[in-house]
Order: sequence, then C-alpha cells, then structure tokens
Amino acid sequence: MKLKKVCIIDYEVVNIASIENAIKFLNFNYEILKKPNDLKSFSHLILPGVGSFKTGAKKLFDNHWDKAIIRFVREKGFLMGICLGMQLLFEKSYEDGETKGLGLLEGECKIFKSKNLVLPHMGFNLVKHNNSKIWNEIENPSPFYFVHSYRIANSEKKKNISTTKYGESFVSFIEKDNIFGAQFHPEKSHDVGLKLINNFLNL
Amino acid sequence: MIFKRIIYALLYSRGDFFLSRNFRLQKVGDVKWLKNNFGFGETCNSIDELIIILVSKNPDKREISNYFDDVNNLREKIFVPITLGGGIRNSLDAKSCFENGADKILINKIAQSDLSECKKISQIFGKQALSIMVDYKKINQTNYTFLDAGEKKSISLSDYFEKIKKIEFGELILNSIDKDGTAAGFDYESISLIPKNFKNPILMMGGAGKPEHFTKVLSSKKISGAITANLFNFLGSGLMKARDYSLKKDIELNKFEGINI
Repeated sequence: MKLKKVCIIDYEVVNIASIENAIKFLNFNYEILKKPNDLKSFSHLILPGVGSFKTGAKKLFDNHWDKAIIRFVREKGFLMGICLGMQLLFEKSYEDGETKGLGLLEGECKIFKSKNLVLPHMGFNLVKHNNSKIWNEIENPSPFYFVHSYRIANSEKKKNISTTKYGESFVSFIEKDNIFGAQFHPEKSHDVGLKLINNFLNL
Repeated sequence: MIFKRIIYALLYSRGDFFLSRNFRLQKVGDVKWLKNNFGFGETCNSIDELIIILVSKNPDKREISNYFDDVNNLREKIFVPITLGGGIRNSLDAKSCFENGADKILINKIAQSDLSECKKISQIFGKQALSIMVDYKKINQTNYTFLDAGEKKSISLSDYFEKIKKIEFGELILNSIDKDGTAAGFDYESISLIPKNFKNPILMMGGAGKPEHFTKVLSSKKISGAITANLFNFLGSGLMKARDYSLKKDIELNKFEGINI
C-alpha cells in the first residue's frame, strides 16, 4: 500500500463507487468522508459528482465542505473535482437558475451554445491536453467518458486548459497550481482514465 | 466529435443472468459463471458502457439487495459507466441504485405513469443520469409501446415521443420486442419515426447478432449507440470483433487497449 492518503468526499447525491474502485485498483490508501473532519492527514482530495449543480452545491455548503476544501487547497493539498465536482470549483452555474460554486477557479458554468447539439454530451470524446505533468505518458489526444449538458465558459489562462470539441471547443480539463478539474469521468474511462488518476495521486 | 457507443446489457434475476427472446427469459448462468466462463474482463474492455437490468417481477427487498451485491461483485474491476435499473418506481429506488454504483439509472414504466417522480429524480440526480427505456412492438403497421415487461399495451411510439418531452432526461433506449433476442438485426425501420426535433441521445436495443448489425444501426446520424444483451454472440472477443468491423467501415468508435497499469 502506498503511503499517500486520499480523501473522497461523499456529499450524499454522489456515486462514489467507481472512483473508490479505481483508487482501490491503483492501490492507494483512502478514506470516504461524509463530513469534513480533520483533513490534515490527507495529501489528496477528490470531489466527485453527478447530479444537478444546485443540489450538489447545497449539499456541499450545508455540510460545511466549502470552508474545509478551501483550507485544504490553501495548505497545498492536491484537489481534483470530477464532472459536477469540477464545475463546483468555479464561481457559479446557470443550471436550474443561478447558483454559487466554491469560486476556487475563475469561470462559470453554462449550457452548450449550439442549438442543434444532441444533449447531454454523452459518451467518449477526445481530450486535447497540454502535456503537463498530470498527463505524463498519456497520448494526446486521448478519449475520455463524458456525460453533461453544461460546460465551463470563459475560464482561466489557456495554458492551463485541455479542450474537447462538441459543437464548440470547451474546457474539458483544467489545472491551476494544486487544483485540478475534469469535466469527464477518468474513473469510467478504461485504461487511460486510470493512468490520469494514478498520475494525479502521484503528484 | 463524440464517438458512437456499443453497450452491453445484462439481464439479471435472483443470482442469474438471462437471455431474452421476444421478452421470454432463459437462464444462462450466475455471476461466477459470467466471470469465469465467458471472459467478462475481456468483454468489458470492448464496451463503452454496461447496463445491468433487474428483470424480476415485483422483487422484494432481499432480492434487490442480492442484485446490488452481485452488481458490486461484478463491477469491481470494470472502469466503464454503469447503468442500473429495472422496476424503479420513485426517487428512493433511484437513490439506492446510485448508492450501489450506478452512474445512470434506467426507468421504463414511470416515464409513462408518474411524471412527477421522474421530475424529482432528474432534479436530485441530474437529468443526464436519468435514462429512459421504452419497449415497443409493431401491431398492424403501428408501433405501440408496452409496459410491465411487454405484457401491457400502451400508447403508440409516436405519441410516446411527444409524451416524454415533459421529462428532463438523458438518453432514450428504443427496445424492440419484435427484434429482441432474434439476432436478426436491429429495427432499422423505426429510426425514421424519431422526430426531427428530438435532441436527446437515442440508443437502439434488440436484434444484434452479427458485427454488421452494429455498423448498420450506428451509421444513422440519429443513433448515438447500440445495445446488445446477446450473451452468446458477443461475450469474450465477440464485441471486440464487432467494434473492429465497424471501425473498418468508418464508424467512429473509441479504440480500447485493455487495462495495463
């Protein structure tokens, strides 16, 4: 068992089974927390998520995860948000009305622009990445599994962004210092997804 | 652009997996059998997603809990999206599916009978996580939808497309009772019945028997994916061969390489 310790945030509406399986498979030490007790013993924090932004944000704030996550990141812990978990890292979303997110990253979450798209954007699509450390030994581009109708608009600096094409080019992955966000589900993306999680947990 | 999808559906009841032919079920084997004899690992490296449907009629709590145990056993080393369903009546049923590893849930009857529960499910879990399956059969040149595992005739398929506009959901699975288990090809004819303004992804199920069946159905712009529940034709390396065949015919599919970490 490797020594790094991973915390998976369980804020009720979330399916954590697949991310848990992935971390187990990669043989990392982990815990699942429903309440933000002491995060000091963790090196990595994973914020998964399916569900609507409004419900997710409410659960996160009601359980006081917001402050705990922000403190964890300030103390240089590694954070990865997945799907809704990624969207929640940003300032706000317009899904079911305007809702505030954690505001760790600049940008907001809006529905895809094009009117003729099949939505949700569901299935495997290619991610063109920026070859940073987390993408080590991962082909460019690589296919990942997506399932979402909203995406991040007007975001952080280009060099920190990986993109995917679906009617438009949108932010499918973002990194800023010790904060990472994946719009796709690495834990449901076969081999290449496991590699990405492995790279993240080895940071 | 997004890749098309090939999906496996497993029909489960009381510890066993089933073959279905025009909605009549035939027992094939249990989880252990599926894992051992048919190389489930290999199969799962050639699918985009997995659906595991509980096909028992009126299952009790214990049966449902056994279903989830077997699902969890099966999915341990499977890193693909998983859809669970069968008999989901309300948001509580949906919740227990998500708690047992569902990425999406599958509803059928309540999409016709209980719009308010459907609404509740999509509000809580997000519309993308709500998949709808409709079983239909052709009677005198008209496609009718059927409820209760094909036993109860309901509205026509055209009316159905109108009706489900009221639900916020992810994808729609068209399951042809006539083609089910025949291995004679998908119901290509009905693709033309899909309304032009229909925006959700549509998957077709029923009739896959040969690689070229996937190619034919996936070549339609309206179809996002194809599902097979055919345990004999496509387990082991069967689906990989089907993928390769479609790839050669320029169907855009993801190329999987197997887990190597």
